[in-house]
Amino acid sequence: MERLPSVRDSGHSSALVIKFQNVGKIYRSLLGNSVKAVEEFSLEVAEGEIFGIAGPNGAGKSTLIAMLLGYLRPTTGTLEIAGLPARAYVERHGIGYLSELVSINPKWRADRALVRYATLAGIPESRVAAHVDDVIALLGLDEHREKKIKALSKGNLQRLGLAQALLRQERILILDEPTHGLDPVWTQRFREIVGDLRRPDRTILIASHNLDELQRLADRVAIIDHGRLQRVVSTGFDHQRESITRYRIVLASGEERLEEVFPGAEAAGKGEYSVTVRSLRELNSALADLISRGALVSSVVPERSVLEQQFREAVGEPK
Amino acid sequence: MNRGRLAKYSLWQFRDFVLEKGISIVIIGLLWGYLQLLPFRMSFSPEMTPQVITRLVTLLAGSLISIAVLIALNGIISTDRKMGYYRFMFAKPVSPVRYYAQLFVVHLVGLLSGILLLSAVFFVVAGRFSIWNLMLYTGLVYIALGGIGFFISAASRHDWVTLAAVWVGARILRGLYGNGDDWRSKAVELLPPVHKIDTVAGSLIATGTAPLQDVLWLGGYGALFFVLGLVVLQRRSLAA
Repeated sequence: MERLPSVRDSGHSSALVIKFQNVGKIYRSLLGNSVKAVEEFSLEVAEGEIFGIAGPNGAGKSTLIAMLLGYLRPTTGTLEIAGLPARAYVERHGIGYLSELVSINPKWRADRALVRYATLAGIPESRVAAHVDDVIALLGLDEHREKKIKALSKGNLQRLGLAQALLRQERILILDEPTHGLDPVWTQRFREIVGDLRRPDRTILIASHNLDELQRLADRVAIIDHGRLQRVVSTGFDHQRESITRYRIVLASGEERLEEVFPGAEAAGKGEYSVTVRSLRELNSALADLISRGALVSSVVPERSVLEQQFREAVGEPK
Repeated sequence: MNRGRLAKYSLWQFRDFVLEKGISIVIIGLLWGYLQLLPFRMSFSPEMTPQVITRLVTLLAGSLISIAVLIALNGIISTDRKMGYYRFMFAKPVSPVRYYAQLFVVHLVGLLSGILLLSAVFFVVAGRFSIWNLMLYTGLVYIALGGIGFFISAASRHDWVTLAAVWVGARILRGLYGNGDDWRSKAVELLPPVHKIDTVAGSLIATGTAPLQDVLWLGGYGALFFVLGLVVLQRRSLAA
């Protein structure tokens, strides 16, 4: 797809940083009741990052995204994109946005909806058709292009939502629960598409319940709960980090040797065991010992990813 | 750039108006016109004089244009907010204020086109009258009533019902207190000047002129609320 003029091309030289500074949002009802959706939220997301936002239902993820798009105003604090108030940035440059609920007029035809969004996005008329064809091909919507929105399945509607977000090569992409309703094939395809979208001058924000997805895609993940930032986690493995971690080990042979090396190992299925270690170093040394005793290891995987572990520490076990 | 892309988008807005509102307005107008024309034809047969035709057009326009404006304005802003359509539209580099200001104008053009079509049919079927005068009247009612409707749609999700209630309520309150000499009669002066529409209709449709003060009051009232609607759009959160 052709690269369209970006913020920097248009003479804007600020680094593209998303900056939440002590942002708070309180919803007030007409009867005077109030709910704190977001409190004292401060965060910076750098240019080139794929950044995840994770949190349980009602944690404040959607409120944060609505404020980032300028659809809601923060009650307190400031929110800036590239040095501009969020709404001013959106109106000047646009953001590629996929909402959790894809709401498009059900009477519109899929391809015409994309033409409309392309027109609003400012894609020159001569290139609109090419851009629309590109995203339709990318998201595999060719056989559905002439269907009315109301005739699309949940998965196809989700793909159409993603297609409109990718129409213009925006420097900021916000994807709210992007794989919601997608089948496994398209979930995998989505991950490849997002991987291909990574660019040094592009920031991608993904809000998701799916920790596995964020672990795979994001560089860092903000874990939020009750409207507060609990912690920011780097998804890469921290070799220096000493923490008790459980691994699932599958053995092809030598099961009788396991207890000698991993005292307290618990059987978790045929040839499968759950073991606890304090560090990666301890795991490797025990595995070497096990192999030297004649065991044949077919797989070793952490029971919980780094992110999942951090998420449970920050938010607690699901009730 | 913003204006350029919005100007192109006006064609889509016009298309939406025709499909979602324009056709309904024309059908209602044809049925309404037929029902009104029939007894007139029977009473004034075989020949309808220009005076009779103008009386008939005034009678028709008095109710039809107000209903057409209500249809045209129904959900002009609130539907996008209620249904969540704004989410993708305004993630693009587009100002909601400009978008809806343009939509207001597009709906005016759409309404005038619909009324022009109805007028042409009426002109052929019933006889000669000034279509231009009827267009002027339609434009004035659109600004007067539509401006208030635009404001209500920006501020509330139940715009059509609220606008109809305001319009009818203003008529009732004026009927009750409009001729008095106390504070209530002064207070009702601040309500939408619905009563002036009837006066202006007769004069504007028949002669193409109307008391300037009435026209200014009607137009100014609607224009003020249109601007207030833009202010609400600028200040109020779209997701609220």
